[in-house]
Amino acid sequence: MDINLMIEIAPLLVKAAWVTVDISARALVFGFFIASALVALRTSRIPPIRWLARSYISVVRGTPYFVQLLLVFYGGPAIGLRLDPFTCGVVVGAFNIGAYMSEAIRGAIESVESGQNEASRSLGFGRLETLQYIILPQAAGLMIRSVGVLAIILVKNSSLVSIISVIELTYQAQRLIGSTYKPLEVFTLSALMYIIIIYAVMGIVEFLYRRATRYTFL
Amino acid sequence: MEFDFSPVIDYLPTLLQGVGVTLLIGLAVTVMSVIGGQIVAVISLYTRKVVSWPLRFFIWLFMTTPLLLQLYFLYFGIGEWILIPAIVVGVLGLGFHYMAYNADIFIATIRSVSSGQYEASRSLGFGHLATLFYVILPQAFYRALPQLSNNMIIMVKDISVLSAIGIGEMVYVSQYAISVTFRPFEFYITIAVIYYLINLMMEAGQSWIERRAAYRR
Repeated sequence: MDINLMIEIAPLLVKAAWVTVDISARALVFGFFIASALVALRTSRIPPIRWLARSYISVVRGTPYFVQLLLVFYGGPAIGLRLDPFTCGVVVGAFNIGAYMSEAIRGAIESVESGQNEASRSLGFGRLETLQYIILPQAAGLMIRSVGVLAIILVKNSSLVSIISVIELTYQAQRLIGSTYKPLEVFTLSALMYIIIIYAVMGIVEFLYRRATRYTFL
Repeated sequence: MEFDFSPVIDYLPTLLQGVGVTLLIGLAVTVMSVIGGQIVAVISLYTRKVVSWPLRFFIWLFMTTPLLLQLYFLYFGIGEWILIPAIVVGVLGLGFHYMAYNADIFIATIRSVSSGQYEASRSLGFGHLATLFYVILPQAFYRALPQLSNNMIIMVKDISVLSAIGIGEMVYVSQYAISVTFRPFEFYITIAVIYYLINLMMEAGQSWIERRAAYRR
């Protein structure tokens, strides 16, 4: 192991790691909105809207993220959709993770006993109020856990964005392996950075989980 | 912009070849990761810490780093010392990645088999290894089947990543075709549709396996 080389390339990798964090965080936030919208559409009273949301989720979950990225980035211009690599990574990542996340959110909401809903409605709460004050606080714990797992998958998926030439951690690592011929050192450092990012995400998820379940017994 | 799918039809034989490669890789990786995962799980549960801890470290390492980085390391990294053909790197890389995930499932399901089973089997005269092979592992395997098939569905989609190290599966083949015909949208849509069909078939297979597993459990 060449320690000097590792110290030398560390700043480059840290900078690239920040791009990984940036792209994943943005995709997570947008993905959460998309997922919430999908959950709302899936429980719509109009059947065609329900079918549309369901087939969207099925198709996105049934095709590789990698192919989705290539399709939007290289195939997009054919239908007038031109995105720069970074934006493309965020948008495709958000639409991809949104489909998975909507299933996680729906699962968490459905895990709350239906009696809670009925009791709350019979006490005079409206549909939205029931969701806001009764269902969501109880579903929050499970929801945070399962969205947390998806956030980790999102961080690992962000390595695929290197294929459309966003200079993030994996792309930088590949370039450094190419220029230094020291794969072990580069791999160790970049793997370490992924591990640090993932552990940070796990820590945040654990913190939010504790906060959300302070008053509930699960 | 009008769409023209005639180049896709021209390149259909090549694309189908790519589909064949994808399916073959999927089969090889399934066999390797299920058998390997089983072995890794047994070793990491039933041997001394000197043996099991390094193994658990590798499981952890494969689960916390992205697949693409592992592939680059194996292909461009190890390739500096020993030259390995891309297809071998691809199958091994994907195989090790999912071996770690499968081992994790097997560890959980082996633990979930009640200890009464072990004790009953030992008191009936089976040895330690015989108990493991004839009593514990079969039960653990059937319990693991739903999650295993889930992992394999995810794995088949990850085969597309192997195009990054130049393996001639669907995506790589279509990238070649696109470089000749300049029709990225049509080709990638076709690939997506093929993947979706494979996925639907695998989901049907999964529910079949789950029914069988529930029956054997």
